[in-house]
Amino acid sequence: MEHLILRDLDIPNLQDISVYEQHGGYDALRKAVKEMTPDQVTDVVKASGLRGRGGAGFPAGVKWSFLPKGVFPRYLVANADESEPGTFKDRQIMERNPHQFVEGIAIASYAIQCHNAFIYIRGEFPYAAQCLEKALADAEQRGYVGKNVLGSDYSLTITVHRGAGAYICGEETALLESLEGKLGQPRVKPPFPASVGLYNKPTVINNVETLCNVPVIIERGAEWYAKIGTPKSTGPKVFCLSGHVNRPGNYEAPFGSISFRDLIYDFGGGIRGGKKLKAILPAGASGPMLSPLANPAVMDVKLDFEALAPFGSLLGSASVIVLDEDTCVVWAAKKMVRFFEHESCGKCTPCREGTYWMSRVLERIDAGIGTLGDVDLVAGVATQMQGRTLCPLGDFSTSPVLGSVKIFREEYERHIKERGCWARK
Amino acid sequence: MLEFLLTSHPLDCPICDKGGECPLQNLTMAYGPGKSRFPVESKFHNEKRVPLGDLIMLDRERCIQCSRCVRLQDEIADDHVLGFQARGRGLEIVSLSDPPFDSKFSGNTIDICPVGALTSRDFRLSARVWEVRDYPSVCAHCSVGCNILIGERDHDIKRIVPRENESVNEIFLCDKGRFVHHFATAPERLTTPLIRRGWKLEVGSWNEALNLVASKFAETRTQHGASALGGLGGDRASNEDLYLFQKLFRQVIGSNNLEHRVGWSATNVGADLVRLYGAGVGTNLGALDKNVTVLVLGADPEEEQPVIRLRLTKSVRWYGANLIVANGRVTKLAKHAKQSLVYKYGAEAYFLLGVIRAIVDEGLENRDFIAARVANFEEFAKSLEPNTVERCAELCHVKPEKIRDAARQIAQSPNLLILSGREAMFAQQNDPAVASGIAALLLITGHVGRANNGLIALYPHNNSMGALDFGLLSEGGLSVREMASGKVRALYAMACDPAAAGEFTKPAFLVVQDLFLTETAKLADVVLPAQSFAEREGTFTNTERRVQLFRAALKPIGESKPDWWIIAEIAKRLGAEWKYGRSSEIMEEIAATAPRYAGMTYAALAENVKMPRPAYGQGNPSDQPTEIAMGELENVSSGKAWRSVAESEPNAKFELVWNEPGQQSPEDSRQYLAVARSLYDRGTLMSQTQIVRPRVPKPWVEINSQDAEQLGIENGARVRVSFDSRVIELTARVDGHVPPDAVLIPSNLDGTAALPLGARVKVEKV
Repeated sequence: MEHLILRDLDIPNLQDISVYEQHGGYDALRKAVKEMTPDQVTDVVKASGLRGRGGAGFPAGVKWSFLPKGVFPRYLVANADESEPGTFKDRQIMERNPHQFVEGIAIASYAIQCHNAFIYIRGEFPYAAQCLEKALADAEQRGYVGKNVLGSDYSLTITVHRGAGAYICGEETALLESLEGKLGQPRVKPPFPASVGLYNKPTVINNVETLCNVPVIIERGAEWYAKIGTPKSTGPKVFCLSGHVNRPGNYEAPFGSISFRDLIYDFGGGIRGGKKLKAILPAGASGPMLSPLANPAVMDVKLDFEALAPFGSLLGSASVIVLDEDTCVVWAAKKMVRFFEHESCGKCTPCREGTYWMSRVLERIDAGIGTLGDVDLVAGVATQMQGRTLCPLGDFSTSPVLGSVKIFREEYERHIKERGCWARK
Repeated sequence: MLEFLLTSHPLDCPICDKGGECPLQNLTMAYGPGKSRFPVESKFHNEKRVPLGDLIMLDRERCIQCSRCVRLQDEIADDHVLGFQARGRGLEIVSLSDPPFDSKFSGNTIDICPVGALTSRDFRLSARVWEVRDYPSVCAHCSVGCNILIGERDHDIKRIVPRENESVNEIFLCDKGRFVHHFATAPERLTTPLIRRGWKLEVGSWNEALNLVASKFAETRTQHGASALGGLGGDRASNEDLYLFQKLFRQVIGSNNLEHRVGWSATNVGADLVRLYGAGVGTNLGALDKNVTVLVLGADPEEEQPVIRLRLTKSVRWYGANLIVANGRVTKLAKHAKQSLVYKYGAEAYFLLGVIRAIVDEGLENRDFIAARVANFEEFAKSLEPNTVERCAELCHVKPEKIRDAARQIAQSPNLLILSGREAMFAQQNDPAVASGIAALLLITGHVGRANNGLIALYPHNNSMGALDFGLLSEGGLSVREMASGKVRALYAMACDPAAAGEFTKPAFLVVQDLFLTETAKLADVVLPAQSFAEREGTFTNTERRVQLFRAALKPIGESKPDWWIIAEIAKRLGAEWKYGRSSEIMEEIAATAPRYAGMTYAALAENVKMPRPAYGQGNPSDQPTEIAMGELENVSSGKAWRSVAESEPNAKFELVWNEPGQQSPEDSRQYLAVARSLYDRGTLMSQTQIVRPRVPKPWVEINSQDAEQLGIENGARVRVSFDSRVIELTARVDGHVPPDAVLIPSNLDGTAALPLGARVKVEKV
């Protein structure tokens, strides 16, 4: 099947605007601006069932229609602060298929009638930012963005803003704070950004991949698009596969068409060195880990947004990290909690103190100087943190602990009893 | 949550200033288990001593990142000077301003910090809170009269904290009130009477000194008549002192030479206006809602009455009060105003007339009120005739539509408060048209005699209002200038320093009664050591006419005596039969004889009252005001305000007064002098407190950027300012806060005393 998002895999030099135009580039924007009203664009996107690809899976068209009527200016912010461990889909899009992203922003901006759109790009992506700036310059030259888009009376300015390297700024309200020049800390919700967002104005925030779906929907129609994937999760999805597999990378497949088994053994070419699979982190560091050792059925479930709920996990942004049998789960959990400790913004006490505390206890267990009570302690701290923070980071930071303690409790106890890590002996 | 907070919180309660009054400690004692699940050796460590500013020390380890201090500075003080930096467990408070923590309300962050992270650099590590005894008192710095607690240990003031009073200062206090208290126990305090023998002032006994004063006064009276004696009573003294001071002169000596306005740049303050139209009792400046229009005229409360600025800001932000700020320059308060009007200095009266004329033009005057209580409206309207809005607008440099807009808001608002400040009241050599204009504006709109209506005159000192109440005014007597220039043969200067405030010629006999050996005291024949407000009881009347009681906290320093005692002893030696044993007896006499102060005995002033604490924000879900007892702990009430004539005599008729404004031709406007004041000054009280010295600014001159460009002056350049016969050299600040043609100099810093407001000046680059 042809790629809809990772079209660069089918078409060489797609970052070149003339190549993109040859393959139907910016036709969707032309169609939207010339033939459709903003509300019609929103309705088509709503009808397509497009859901946000950033992790939460909220319907994009519905999000756009939440903007309060008659309040201007409005802003569109493309969330390109891709910093979840094991996620690298947006980077590939921005570096190699930037025009589809720009076109998506332009159509979405037209739909919500915003004249200033921002791309908040992760600071560690200098090359992607350069690619985007070049793409924007090219697009402006050809009249796709800037003053009077394609000769219409609609004008749009797109600004690329580079972050300074904080995971928390991927959270939408922290992103807005950072974009306003403040310290990146989440805001209290409600009010939601749709009503009070950037500079206290109505704001739509969408993920890069979400916006890349928009030109496809406008060009080929909502009906055609809705047939891809499952009725609840429509369209294609880019899966980021990494960890102990032979061929890590981005793989595009419709929702509900593949399972972990397909992804790891078919696309990914199996586990490195022919070893056994031990655990899967389905949503980077943020989703509780899964393991065929605990429940073999997990390998064959067809993946969509809701598929992993029965197993106590979530698909998130579909950044699948694979751990083989030689990996120490305690070590992995420690690494992930340390990541969250480092990235916690510090605003909410449970997250600021909890990640610090969990890190210290996991370090202790990993170093072989823990006590048997520490396993319950670390799980207890994690339980106390759940649901007590403003943004999901606090909840996410408990996933590595709670997921691994649930499935691999004996491994934790082995660390304590054997006074050290079995994998590193 | 408590456990999370304690994982990183150090266990140094035994050496922490907050220990004993720490919410985290209290909660932990109430709910926490005795043992931690988190090992001590894994605790997070951070810097323990970070000077956050001149006044505040931050302990980063104790900080629990609650952001109360950041929010207080942003939301209440409106000084965006604190913020967070970094993230996660390393999240830390930093100061964003230069100089660091540049706020006049920084001390309040110490009170609201729920742990010992923010501590006073003055009080830090000097006493445990349970050893400190708190005495209820009233701040003696500015005319707001913030309620305070003096924390005393071993006869020394350890710290001053605000005492909650919802109608005066809520729970806040400015940094001057909090930190400037070391004067009370300074080694420079006078401890014994001094008597001039030859060229030297020598230690004498009380009896000797008082006898000398009494005999010299009597001698002067017999030889030169009673009017050869004069009294300058400072408006920092208490009501009891001022009452006896005027009684001594009027009844015992028989002289009317009484004044208190030493160092004020003018004399006509419209003292009568407050008596007639003072704001109604029950006015709460911190809880004015959208039905109240507040006109702040010629005032800079940020520098002169900081807590009033704080409370007006709150009224605007939280309750939607309609604030109009009119001044000759842009002040900090103007930022919150619905309308900020910048008139030309000296043309205040035309601004007021323009507003009045606009109201009359549009027929917005309150006819019912005028018919019932104003005697001569038609006459007044006739005098108004030649002053069209356009003419006034041209003369005061405010656009006519802006004047009309302000007029509509003033006239159509259900309530109107006018806060007139020093810059308006002392404007342009005492233009009486400003005072009569304020009165006319209140009368024709009928905004008098009720709460949230009327005039609040923002006076400079803690008891200026009391001094006015007891008539220390040159009615029928000599003015301050006359008395200071040797027109009297014997001068009694109490709690004031005329020699430092301007030219001074020593009269034949000079008695000075003060805390320190001031400039005037150095010239005196007899110096009598008085007690500071911390050593005695008394009452002050604040700028809102609220009479407030303060209690003694310290033992007297040396042989110093309360002012009232000294005055009474002199009176006795002059033959009066005064028998005052304590200050409360004087207040009883005042309560019985002065109609405004009727019933205000100490017992009545100390009565416990319950006051509603307003509900705001999300903190109080019921949205109902909670009642708090103001006096429960301290046995001091929230004070009592006396009622203006408009309020106490509902049938009294008033007369509109017409004063032709001082003529001002627009051509005659090059480079005139505006005078501001700085909160932190070079006063006697300030200079005794080391910790606030860096806060006292170097004198500067503010010049409009247009003028500066013409004169080739850059920001920070040294300039020479010459006026009358004086020349001073200052550093220039170039900005848009002063209008073109005006230069602004704060008048209470090094070498800038006694500046004539409105004088023509010449500014040159050095």
